[in-house]
Amino acid sequence: MLSRQRLFWRLRPYDLPGSDRAFLQACRDNCAYHIRRCPGYAKICKHLGFSPAQLKTIADLAKIPVLPTLFFKRRTLFSMSPQRMAMKVTSSGTSGKYSRIGFDWGCILAEAPMVINLGFRHHLVSPKPAHCVILGYKPHKSNHTGVTRTMFGLTHFSPPLSRTYALHMVDGSYVPDLDRVARALKRFERSHFPTRVIGFPSYLWFGLKRMEELGLRVKLPKDSRIILAGGWKQHSDQEVDKSTLYALVEKTLGIPEKNINELFGAVEHPVFYNTCERHHFHIPAYGRIIIRDPDTLEPLPMGKVGLINLISPLMCATPTLSVMTDDLGYLTPGEKCGCGIKTPYLTILGRVGMSGIQTCAAGASELLGKGEAF
Amino acid sequence: MIFANGKLLPDSARKTILDGLEAHLNAVRMAPPLEAEVVIAAVDALGKRLQSGEFAPLLSQFLPAGVTLDQLLPLLSREALEAKLSAELGPEPFASREFAKTTARTLPLGVLFHIAPGNMPGLPVYTALEGLLTGNINLVKLPHGDKGLSLAAFGALTEQEPRLAPYLYAFDLPSAQREDLEALAALADGLVVWGGDGAIASARTLAGPGCKLIEWGHRLSFAYVSGYEDEEAELSALACHIVETGQRLCSSCQVIFLDSSDWEAGAAFCRKLLSHLERAAAKRPGPGRGAMASLSGHTALLERIVDGRAEGEALFQGRGCAVILRPDRELELSPMEGNVLVKLLPQQELLPVLRRQKGRLQTAGLICAPGQREALTGRLLRAGLTRVTRAGSMSASFPGEAHDGEYPLRRYLRAADVER
Repeated sequence: MLSRQRLFWRLRPYDLPGSDRAFLQACRDNCAYHIRRCPGYAKICKHLGFSPAQLKTIADLAKIPVLPTLFFKRRTLFSMSPQRMAMKVTSSGTSGKYSRIGFDWGCILAEAPMVINLGFRHHLVSPKPAHCVILGYKPHKSNHTGVTRTMFGLTHFSPPLSRTYALHMVDGSYVPDLDRVARALKRFERSHFPTRVIGFPSYLWFGLKRMEELGLRVKLPKDSRIILAGGWKQHSDQEVDKSTLYALVEKTLGIPEKNINELFGAVEHPVFYNTCERHHFHIPAYGRIIIRDPDTLEPLPMGKVGLINLISPLMCATPTLSVMTDDLGYLTPGEKCGCGIKTPYLTILGRVGMSGIQTCAAGASELLGKGEAF
Repeated sequence: MIFANGKLLPDSARKTILDGLEAHLNAVRMAPPLEAEVVIAAVDALGKRLQSGEFAPLLSQFLPAGVTLDQLLPLLSREALEAKLSAELGPEPFASREFAKTTARTLPLGVLFHIAPGNMPGLPVYTALEGLLTGNINLVKLPHGDKGLSLAAFGALTEQEPRLAPYLYAFDLPSAQREDLEALAALADGLVVWGGDGAIASARTLAGPGCKLIEWGHRLSFAYVSGYEDEEAELSALACHIVETGQRLCSSCQVIFLDSSDWEAGAAFCRKLLSHLERAAAKRPGPGRGAMASLSGHTALLERIVDGRAEGEALFQGRGCAVILRPDRELELSPMEGNVLVKLLPQQELLPVLRRQKGRLQTAGLICAPGQREALTGRLLRAGLTRVTRAGSMSASFPGEAHDGEYPLRRYLRAADVER
């Protein structure tokens, strides 16, 4: 699918109007591909009266059938045989259920220039080797979660000197070892090379609080960075605002706010969203976002709060052209940010709480992923 | 953590406790039985302390945000417990009865092993309490995700009344620890399991032939409409019930069956109901519940399309709610959150449809003309329902009512006959 590669190999990652044509063409081709190859997706388009020919302007993207991530947790849809896929990845399954998403080689070929392009743009790429501290899972053959692979991938933006993980597999389950992390940070303080702390914001917060309690402070070498990914997940009730977290980072690790990057993405939508220097997620040319009315799913104008609909023609193995997370958020015009990037930026307000549902209706707990056993 | 004999112990002590448990349980069995009065007095005193706010800081630490024990508190009083005993076991619950040659005595079953799921905070405590009231020794497998509320409650209860300590054990035991679960089940006279089909099926494999199974499974409920007393008021009450419970409860309305076989009449009903549902949905605070309704409803629609089930249905989409007129007649789980299914089911054909869900039936919210109520109620009960209510009060709790067709306390007791 050349139209997809044309879009993802574009060199100007934040030129939305300039990429509209290529984006639309890639979406038309992607949608047609899934209709041809995935009977379930074809049924959905037919039932909802949609065909790729209806995509004439960028506003028409709202007409593409929207598949909630919740749907991918209940049904597995593939548009290619699993043998032809590059890999299969699962979401982290905070609520007990997870999506199974297949990645094709063409998707990986398209992701590479996007990640490199945005990596340079957001100062993630550096030739200087670095020690990596990963506040996440150490890869293990039984772990297929996208976030584990993403965090491992992120260690390659600079040549990795070492990798220290916070979560290790012991007897079949992951256990945290924050002391090991604290010892490593102490060691890296004296290194000639910078350190990169990559991980879940929740673990960074818990780890820093623990260091603060123990009276531990380090001053990591110049050019050290924090790269956050994966969101707060099951710890969302303890989420703190960014400025509180960043202030503690500066105090405890000696890393200035400008060296903190946050990433956003989903297994179902692996577009590489990065925060700008003002910590906003601007929409890159590889994706589009529609905010939808929580009550009607109709598109909402800029600034209104609603469900986040993510659109990207990135994947051929799984029909994830237009997906909807269970997060609420809103868009703000890019000019209001002031960082220089002109595309609108997304603010995520948090989950609507599908995973917190308590139920005793027959069959419902199984549906919500809570009924496998006791 | 483990709670054993009034003490909190680390999980590492599990093997030691399990090894010595049988001897300990035997010793307790040999001692004079626990009297209900001891339990009632302790729970009543603890309930008063809870109500006074003494445990508020503790509770806020353990309860999920937005969840309160308001529904549980009224149950923790002397009046409520005595009323429960007499409703379930008669005015003299534990009195012996004389027969021609024998005396019938009522005794506890012995040791109950409770498996409580995490879908309602306080449930592990409540199920143990039912076991205590009937004089049983209780081994509780705490649900995954119980952040300590149950352990704290057991601690407070045995501190209030130390005589309860030998009758209470709680284990923070992962379901994967099959061996330990089997060891506990082997010690029990009754296995009390709460939860969905998965939990019940697992429990059935745990309990050996010598262990009685007491299952509190998940249920399905529906409304049946055959005429009206006051159409506006009844449909409005039903809509409020659907939206307020989010269709998440055993007693929540999943399907509305119409006593009709006319599709057009069904469509007209759906349009009317939708306006009531939208009014009820508009009262929900914030965008969260509406978003859940839309996500659940839309996801369920996509599932039906992919499964080839969406053909022939009519979808009446509202703001934050939906009514789906389905061509089939099955009682099934709705997409929940204010997305209700409507199906045509003339009353003569009620029985075979409902029998296909035997063992899962719970409440029927009945809307009908007054003259029809008795006959329809009888029909529904004969089909296997255990509650028939007015449509708006399907999830209300009534004093003295049974639990899914049974009086739990009776199941935790046994009768013994002694020849004179």
